[in-house]
Amino acid sequence: MQLTLNVLVAASTLALMAVGFGLIFSTTRFFHFAHAVVYTGAAYLTYCGSVQLGLPLVIAVLLGVAGGVCLGGLMEVGLYRPMRGRSASALTLLIASLGTYVVLQNLVSMTWGDDVRMLQSSTVREGIEILGGRITPTSVLAIAVCVALLAVVTLVLRRTGLGRAMRAVADDAELARIRGIRADRVILATFAIGSALAAVAGILVALDVNMRPTMGMNALMLAIVAVIIGGVSSIGGIALGSLFLAAAQQVAIWQLGSQWQDAVAFAILLVFLLARPQGLFGKPLRKVAV
Amino acid sequence: METLCCESLSKSFDGVQALEKVGVCFPTSGIAAVIGPNGAGKTTLINVLTGFLRPEAGRCLFGNREITRLAPHRIARLGIARTFQDLRLIQQVSVLDNVMLARPNQRGERLLPALLRFGVAEEETRNREEAMRTLRFVGLEEKASDPAGELSYGQQKLLTLACCLATEARVLLLDEPVAGVHPEMVEQILGLLRRLRDEGKLIVFIEHDIAAVRQVADVVIVMDNGQVIAQGPPSEVLERPEIMEAYVG
Repeated sequence: MQLTLNVLVAASTLALMAVGFGLIFSTTRFFHFAHAVVYTGAAYLTYCGSVQLGLPLVIAVLLGVAGGVCLGGLMEVGLYRPMRGRSASALTLLIASLGTYVVLQNLVSMTWGDDVRMLQSSTVREGIEILGGRITPTSVLAIAVCVALLAVVTLVLRRTGLGRAMRAVADDAELARIRGIRADRVILATFAIGSALAAVAGILVALDVNMRPTMGMNALMLAIVAVIIGGVSSIGGIALGSLFLAAAQQVAIWQLGSQWQDAVAFAILLVFLLARPQGLFGKPLRKVAV
Repeated sequence: METLCCESLSKSFDGVQALEKVGVCFPTSGIAAVIGPNGAGKTTLINVLTGFLRPEAGRCLFGNREITRLAPHRIARLGIARTFQDLRLIQQVSVLDNVMLARPNQRGERLLPALLRFGVAEEETRNREEAMRTLRFVGLEEKASDPAGELSYGQQKLLTLACCLATEARVLLLDEPVAGVHPEMVEQILGLLRRLRDEGKLIVFIEHDIAAVRQVADVVIVMDNGQVIAQGPPSEVLERPEIMEAYVG
């Protein structure tokens, strides 16, 4: 039971990060590596609000999420959109994104230092017992928030014009524009939703464990593996991919030791890239320009 | 009603003159067919009129407004819709969603209304009803929930027409709407064009099928080597032996 609980906790924040990344990737077709710094930045902004400024935790969390959304939105408006306007390739956007990640991650290090920081006091608290396993209240919150947010995002994608427009821009941005869809606004909305999910994931991990300036890139790499396992075009698939990856990592920790968890994750990635690159539930991607 | 005109349009590709001082004024409504051999400049003319290509010289006017350098989506918003020879559709979504996407001014495509659902549900219902009406008009009502990519070629042609109609455009520029289509569906598409003409729309269509042109066109414009070489009623233009022989075959 403890293993199951550990898997659910690890999968929940991973799924939030992965769905956020997957949404942005499926709409824009480039690897938004700076997504990692949205995850980190939101956690540190929450730390700043709660620990350094003494704000109530709920306010600090809202500040962190809002900061993450603004950060992702600013990258799209200030960097990617002008580059797309000059017909930049997906590779050029990826390199710009990596550069942005390095600059902003260094900024976090310069501002808050490289030491591990805690959002909550380090006192060990007794977890809640569920069917013989133990789980912290923050972990329960993480699972509940993950389920709720993924349900909301699924509803938005399936039941609103925005979801339809996002699929249209992903499929053929030029045709979407001709049909009267404001593609840039749709892409900005995608960045806002994806960044909000990454921000919440970063804050939940910081609340449950701790934070350090490089936490975002570790989370992003695993999120990319989960997206490839699940398939880019399906939120349910990405969520299941996250669950599968978290399960594999937890079993690796249990059987082989924690140092093997990343090796197992990337071995699974290689298997999928070779055998089923579209993932378990995805469709083969077409090359498009946005 | 605005008139769609172009004056002295010139466009070349790598030294090949695709359009050379083309000047055409389409009627405010009715059906105008653009014919001519391959490479005559027909699709280039439509691409320039809809903002996909910028001419090297000349200008396009819609009423009193110059549209020569407007982006394609801005021209679409003025009420000029187009289809493509290669049937561009949003493959990832259903037939109904393709038509709904083309509906203008949707609040539900913005982030906050989509998240908070302010008035979006009613707008969705209204758009769905309008889209279904359009699908009924073109005869694709029963295919509404099918993925667009799974329709037959002829049905995809009908869907591109439905998408144009959903934009509420008054001017439709159709690139070979009946080419490669089953004869029964050709009749169906030509019937739809007649009905749209009767509703006051202007339909400009490029076509190689002279029988189809004879059936529906009010005006025929003949192009060759990037120039307009004849225009007028089909009964007059299509009877000229030199045109039929040299440019149509």
